[in-house]
Amino acid sequence: MRKKECIAMLLAGGQGSRLGCLTRNIAKPAVSFGGKYRIIDFSLSNCTHSNIDTVGVLTQYKPFVLNSYIGMGSAWDLNCLNGGVHILPPYMGEEEGSWYKGTANAVFQNLAFINFYNPEYILILSGDHIYQMDYYEMLTFHKEKNAEVTISAIQVPWEEASRFGVMLVDDSGRIKEFVEKPLYPPSNLASMGIYIFNWEVLKTALIEDEVDPHSDHDFGKNVLPRLLKQGKRLYAFLFQGYWRDVGTIESYYKANMEVLQEKRTAKFFEQKRRIFSNEEILAPQYIGEKAKIHNSIIGNGCTILGEVYDSVISAGVYVGEGSIIRDSILLPNSEVQEGVRLRKTILGENARICSHCSIGDKTQEPFPPQEGITVIGDHLQIRAGTIIPEGRNVTQDLL
Amino acid sequence: MNSAIGIIFSNMNSGALQGLTQERPIAALPFGGRYRLLDFALSSMVNSVIHTVGVITPPHYRSLLDHLGAGKDWSLDRKSGGLFILPGVIHSLGQYNMRFSLKDLVLNREFLEKDFARQVIISSSDQVYNMDFHPLLKQQEETGADLTLVYKQSPEPLTGEDNLYLRLDGSGRVAAMAKTKTKPEPGVSWSYFCNIFVIRRELLLQILDSFGSIENLELTEVLAQYLSELRVWGYHFGGYIGRIGSVKDYFYNNMALLQEEIRGDLFKSTRPIRTKIRDNPPTRYGSKAQVKNSLISSGCVIEGVVENSILSRGVVVEEGCMVNNCVIMSKCLLGRNTVLENLILDKFVAVQEGSVLKGRPNQPMVISKKAVI
Repeated sequence: MRKKECIAMLLAGGQGSRLGCLTRNIAKPAVSFGGKYRIIDFSLSNCTHSNIDTVGVLTQYKPFVLNSYIGMGSAWDLNCLNGGVHILPPYMGEEEGSWYKGTANAVFQNLAFINFYNPEYILILSGDHIYQMDYYEMLTFHKEKNAEVTISAIQVPWEEASRFGVMLVDDSGRIKEFVEKPLYPPSNLASMGIYIFNWEVLKTALIEDEVDPHSDHDFGKNVLPRLLKQGKRLYAFLFQGYWRDVGTIESYYKANMEVLQEKRTAKFFEQKRRIFSNEEILAPQYIGEKAKIHNSIIGNGCTILGEVYDSVISAGVYVGEGSIIRDSILLPNSEVQEGVRLRKTILGENARICSHCSIGDKTQEPFPPQEGITVIGDHLQIRAGTIIPEGRNVTQDLL
Repeated sequence: MNSAIGIIFSNMNSGALQGLTQERPIAALPFGGRYRLLDFALSSMVNSVIHTVGVITPPHYRSLLDHLGAGKDWSLDRKSGGLFILPGVIHSLGQYNMRFSLKDLVLNREFLEKDFARQVIISSSDQVYNMDFHPLLKQQEETGADLTLVYKQSPEPLTGEDNLYLRLDGSGRVAAMAKTKTKPEPGVSWSYFCNIFVIRRELLLQILDSFGSIENLELTEVLAQYLSELRVWGYHFGGYIGRIGSVKDYFYNNMALLQEEIRGDLFKSTRPIRTKIRDNPPTRYGSKAQVKNSLISSGCVIEGVVENSILSRGVVVEEGCMVNNCVIMSKCLLGRNTVLENLILDKFVAVQEGSVLKGRPNQPMVISKKAVI
């Protein structure tokens, strides 16, 4: 086996419970995004564009859709000889074996996989971020600084800093302090959950972490602070582009709506670094005689007979005549029949809203739950004439 | 093992398509927003579990091979079988309107020799259809036919000169096949040959042996001549077929996709028409967009007015642009305050601010590739 310089380990095993009914049936990285993508497309496409051709995808929670979507990686040109995409679920050995207990433990359980490729560097990625990044630049930075660990970092608004791991750095970019989700953040330089490790350093750290009974086996909480304490050379690589964590309903909704902004779309969709996806084979979209569409994006295979304003409509969606869709996200193959009003709603994959429903109506509540976003889970059916006020999560059929 | 292999003749050309086929064979003509004509025959074969398909190429095959690649998008990048590129004859000028040139098969005899399949399905690629070949193959096997010709019935003869019509006897066997335009008996409709047929592989090889040395011979001419000595059956196809032999045909068949029924027939979700995947983003509609009764592909950006039109991938319609009754091929840029009516725009056309372009409703105007207006 030829030695690889750098391979990626993509953490895709989290349950994503904060995405509520969107992840009831599928893993978070498999949730669709932006009219045609699934969240994992962004990380996988970044790998391809950064010439990283070996990616281990660590899956565990409801992996079926994710696994079948990734397939052998050909949609991202990752079906190469000597490398490619590898789905890595937890497995049993002769005496050991367990579910992944944390991000660090997930990688630890796959030491054999990494040893097989015996890389110089390991890139650790999350499967739930929307961004375009050249990991090769980060690797170059890592080598230039002669770092042992490089953490990709981004400036976030101060009020949000406590949601992230934040760090203090010196002028050279070397990290002096790293705290995971601090109550009082000492800085607004947040970790993006993207790390490059020297493999030897990571291997030692993971083995140490594994035997520590007090560890949660998490990179941000345990591994990085320990390495810092040991005086290892940790550097922050400042990222300046667009980056969104879409781990909550609110942030997922917001990031989708940001795709509607022209500048953002243009950038995402730049031909040179375009995001690849494993798309279904569908006909072009048909826009009907009475349709009206303003400020929206619409995927392949849709039939739009009603009105769509400020919304993201994914592939294969049907919108019936007389229906009005506003500020909503319709996930693939969902169906909205005739005369439906849909406002600020995330409609799950293959869900069906029968005629004359009214979903996401404004209420008198000054602070409706979930910032007023209504979510209808995948595969659900809502009977004709149903009224659902804003901010609700629908997790079962309303027949 | 599969009982059939496929051959698609994609080297036909025609002067009747004006600039549209100047740099490409009819097979490579973009159609319906995201397809090329070849996709329909090829997808029909692949969806009928035919895993070995030979595509006969014209001399100028860049656009065709650009589209086909290694056949990945049709799942033809296979270990056993797959996509075979069969280089066609390079004729002298003016010979490219042959449909099933025998010489093309002679040149690629090996493709036919080395397979073990009993049957060969042959299709032209100047038409749009979505056909399941299973019942056709079943009929061929059950009747023990040498040859089964696919036909459709029409109350009127087709436009164009080189269409073949069939006369069937009561049992469904083909009694005659000719270009005749004499009206059949009253009340009987025209049975026209769909340029799709299945033939026994061994018989096809025999025909190549006997007639292969003759120049400019159409396979169908040989078949018509020896009809009485062969067991030839007809197979009626009930689905939609749109043949494209002229600019008018091209325009009409594109516009036909705006009818739900025809769209449903061609783009069945169980038998999708496959095409080259481009990984375009979804289409973006701006706040001034007004789109009605149109078929729009991915990667477009629409700020203007689009009605009764077909837009291919990556078309930009700027604010104040009015598009009506047009077929717009990929990556066209339609500038501000322009008016476009009854047009066919080939790829990469740029219509600059303020232009007004109108064709006649039943005589669409063709704007050639990369033109700047």
